[in-house]
This record gives sequence, structure tokens and C-alpha cells, in this order.
Amino acid sequence: MSAPTTDDLHAITEQVWLSYLDPEGVNPFLPSSEAPESPLVIASVSVTGAWEGHVIMTFSEQAAELASAALLGMEADEVTPDDVADAVGELVNVIGGNVKSLLPDGSLLSLPHVVTGDSAGTAKWPATVEICRLQGSWQEEKIAISVWTSKSAGEGS
Amino acid sequence: MALTQHEFAFVSGLVRREAAIVLEAGKEYLVEARLLPLARRTGTVTVSEFVARAQRERVIADQIVDALTTNETSWLRDREPFTAFTDSVVPDLAERRGPQHKLRIWSAACSSGQEPYSLAMLLEESVRTGRYEILATDISTEMIERAKAGRYSQLEVNRGLPVPMLVRYFDRVGTEWQVAEALRRNVSFQKVNLAAPLPQLAPFDVVFLRNVLIYFDLETKRSVLRRIRSLMRPDGWLFLGAAETTIGIDDGFERVVAGRASAYRPRAATTAPVGATRKG
Amino acid sequence: MVIDDSRAMRLILRRIVTQLGFEVHEAGNGKEALDLLETVDPMPQVALIDWNMPVMNGLEFVTAVRSDERFRQMTLMMVTTESEHGQIVRALAAGAHEYVIKPFTPEAIAEKLALLGLVPSGIV
Ligand SMILES: C[S@@+](CC[C@H](N)C(=O)[O-])C[C@H]1O[C@@H](n2cnc3c(N)ncnc32)[C@H](O)[C@@H]1O
Repeated sequence: MSAPTTDDLHAITEQVWLSYLDPEGVNPFLPSSEAPESPLVIASVSVTGAWEGHVIMTFSEQAAELASAALLGMEADEVTPDDVADAVGELVNVIGGNVKSLLPDGSLLSLPHVVTGDSAGTAKWPATVEICRLQGSWQEEKIAISVWTSKSAGEGS
Repeated sequence: MALTQHEFAFVSGLVRREAAIVLEAGKEYLVEARLLPLARRTGTVTVSEFVARAQRERVIADQIVDALTTNETSWLRDREPFTAFTDSVVPDLAERRGPQHKLRIWSAACSSGQEPYSLAMLLEESVRTGRYEILATDISTEMIERAKAGRYSQLEVNRGLPVPMLVRYFDRVGTEWQVAEALRRNVSFQKVNLAAPLPQLAPFDVVFLRNVLIYFDLETKRSVLRRIRSLMRPDGWLFLGAAETTIGIDDGFERVVAGRASAYRPRAATTAPVGATRKG
Repeated sequence: MVIDDSRAMRLILRRIVTQLGFEVHEAGNGKEALDLLETVDPMPQVALIDWNMPVMNGLEFVTAVRSDERFRQMTLMMVTTESEHGQIVRALAAGAHEYVIKPFTPEAIAEKLALLGLVPSGIV
């Protein structure tokens, strides 16, 4: 089984957007070279078992609020930090699950984790390397999606 | 930037000529919304400029026809015609034709292929493998290519496909699902414009002509139905979309009830069909 | 009954099935759902079940419900991001009737419920 690529991430992201964030197809996620800037909201799921690593979504704070509002059918200024944690957690769960289907059978998906804050921009997942990344903007706000694998597992296969 | 009346007239004339699809005045916004992404992709800035290019470049004109046809479809769409197909039509034909006969089915506006593959899956379960063949046709080259590949996104396999069928007849390929080779072997694909004279084809036992007549004007509907009838076995079956009928358009067909669905049969068929009653 | 640990996802599903004419109970995991089943009357016709949830996951819930005679009539539909061929087969073997893979559009939920005979086809 080949490792997930940026194209795979793009295909998955398009479907998630059409399902939940942009059902009319009028506000697609547009890939670009710009990364989100602090303050950030970082949502991640881990994959363990046959393959080890993480799927990570990084949002500008605004992007996270917009996404949560769209998912919950609310206005962006109404969403609470709890709403954001729940909503972006579900987004990374859906994207992570679809990424997992590209990985060797017998991999398990963790529950999502969401962290926020200025310093989150420098957060690191120890002993992992990035294998693909998709970044871009949605309604002018930046979002990045990346897949990381633990070095040991990566070398082993 | 709005399309001028002149540009809209060119586009609606084009799709009418090429696909017999009627675009009424007032649909300018639809044309613009569908063409803008295409225009951008080919490096043209405005829809107007794109339409201007279409007047000179055949490829662009084809793209416009493709973009303005509606390809909406799903697995076992509306379910009842498909239930009638397995419960009434296949047993009826098996009885008339005997076990050696190879059923010939035509999906005459197949879009991305969900309709012909739905039929293939149902036939796999009710007919011995290899004793059927399906021809799937559409006017859109892009749709024919997609249908031939038989690869569907997660969103598409969610649309009406019973999960036991997904598990049995599809393989996971990357982020998509692909129809199994054994099934694809029994379906062939061809580009056919229903609104123009049809190619020579051997007669069909069953024709699915669903959700495409609605785009045509009365005259075109009539000639499409007549041409299709000439390619059907005299005791064959025709299935139309839920909003479509032959009644008042082509007297050569009569409506019959098959299960909870309506089907149409060439009127000359004199013997009462098994498992179906006349409704007029 | 909608069983999902994400409030956002429960809300999305609630909106879709309410439109189809269903009344909705919600639970945040399999255990909560089993507890709820003891109290609600009448029993829900159908459960939409996420897979990965804390406390008790969807597969465990399906297994528990299938082993209980009282819930024989309830239709079980997984709605989850688990999308490997093998995982789907596991869920069906445990007793799930249908399976929707996340992400999904509202039509997908409606069409699957119609397949299960739970929504008159006219609505789809
Ligand atoms: C709404 S889809 C219907 C698909 C499928 N039969 C169903 O019922 O789900 C209509 C299809 O008709 C095709 N079509 C439109 N005009 C046509 C023509 N003149 N000849 C052949 N196909 C045509 C379109 O390309 C499109 O794929």
C-alpha cells in the first residue's frame, strides 16, 4: 500500500468540504503555499497499530471559528471554545479516518485532540516526520492538513 | 459580468443542436455558474471570452455541452424500477427466452455509470454470470470515461448503494472504490447522442432511459422514443424516470405496471406479460 | 437515535432525520445509548451509530444490542469514518444493517433510510 499523498489529502478534503462546510460548492478550499498564522487551533488524531503517526489540521483561530460555525449552523461570533473543540475535532476525525483507509490494514484511529494558543505554532510531535501536507485558504482564512509518521515505523516498512 | 443576450443565444443554440437540451431564457445565471470554473481552468478570464472561443474552437464548444448537461445520478435510483426489474422483468424474460438466451440491456443515458452497474449487480444475483450484457451510452465523453473506469468517491458510494453490494462488488483503490473487474467485463460503453440517428445496434430486451427525456422538447422526445422502440425486442421493456412517460408522446408504447413501478412495452406485444398487468 | 461523541455531528444528523419526519434521541457513546434504551418508549426504529467513541464504541454497541431480544426490531446503521473494506464487513457481521461512510451528504442518509424501508420513497 502506497503512502498517502497531497493529492489524496486534497481529494478527501474536497469531499469533507462539499459534505459539511460548502454544500453549494461556492466556497471551496483553495490550495496555496501560505501556512496559517498564530493564534492557532490544532486538531489531531493519532493512528496506531500497523502504521504509527498522526493526522493534523492546523487552523488560524478565525478559520476554526468559521468552520465550527458552518458545521453547527451558527454565526461565527456565536461559537464558544467548546463548540470549536468539538467541531474541528470531528473534522480531523473524518479526515483522519479517510487517511487511515490508505494505510495498512490493522491501523487504529484515536479520538481527536484539540489544542489552542499562540505557542501552539511551535508545537512538535516528537520523533515523527511529515509525509504529506496540504495547505490553503478557505474564505480568506488559512488551514493546513498534514500527515506525520513515526520514524521507526517509517524506516521499518 | 453578465452574459449578453447574444452570447446566451449562442450557448443555448449550441446545446440544443448538439444535445437537444432546451435552455430557456432566464437560465443565464446557470450558464454562467457552470461555465466560470471551466473558463478559469482553460486560462480564460471571463465567461464571455470563453463563449467567444467556443465559436472558433471545437474542443471548447464540446466542453460547454458537457458542462450544461445535468449528470445527477445515484445507485438503484428511485429503487422501484430496479425492484421491478429483478422481480418482474428478469423472470418474465427468462421464461420467454429460456435459460440459454443472453439478456441484452441498454442504459441509454448512463451518466457516470451508477445505472448500468446497478443493473449488473442485480443481474449477478439473479442470472448466471455471463448470460447478460449491458450497453451503457451517454452523450458526454467525460461521463463515458468516468463510467468506464468505474471508480467512485466515498460520497458517490454513499448514494443509495446497499452496503452488502459495496462489500461484494467493489474494491478499495486509494481514496476511491472501483467496480470489480468481473462486473465491468459485462458492461460496455459507447458515446451515443440520443437526439441524432442511432448507430446500428442489436435489439435490446430491456432499456433504461431515465431522467433524460425531461431535458428535451416534445418533438425530440417523440423521435427519441421512436428510435429507441426500433431497437427493442417487440416484447421488451422500457423504464423511464419518475417524471417521464410515453403517454401522449408515442402511441407505440403502452404503460404496464411492474411491481410498484411503471414500465412501457411496445404495443405490438400481444401476449400478456408474466407478473405484470395492463394499465393502459 | 443518534449516537456520536461529537455534538456537531449529532446536530447534523438530527437536522437531516428531523426533516425526514423522525423524532430524535441523542447519546454521546454506546453506553449512554444502552442506558437511554432502557428508558425511552417506544423503542427507536433506527440507530445511527458512530464507531470511534469513548467509553463504549459503536461496534460494541451493535454487538450488545444484537444479543438482546428486546431490541430485535431496531435497525442499526453505522455512520462512521471507518471506511476500510474489512471494517465494513466486521460491522455487518456484528449485526449492523447499513453503513454510511463519513463524510456524507443529507441525500445519502435519506437514501439509505429509504433502502431500509424507513422513509417513504417519495421523500428521498
Ligand atoms: C440526469 S442524468 C440521468 C442519469 C441516469 N439515467 C439516472 O437516471 O440517474 C442525464 C444524462 O443524460 C445525458 N444526456 C443529455 N442529453 C443527451 C443526449 N442528447 N443523448 C444522450 N445522452 C444525453 C447527460 O450527459 C447525463 O449524463
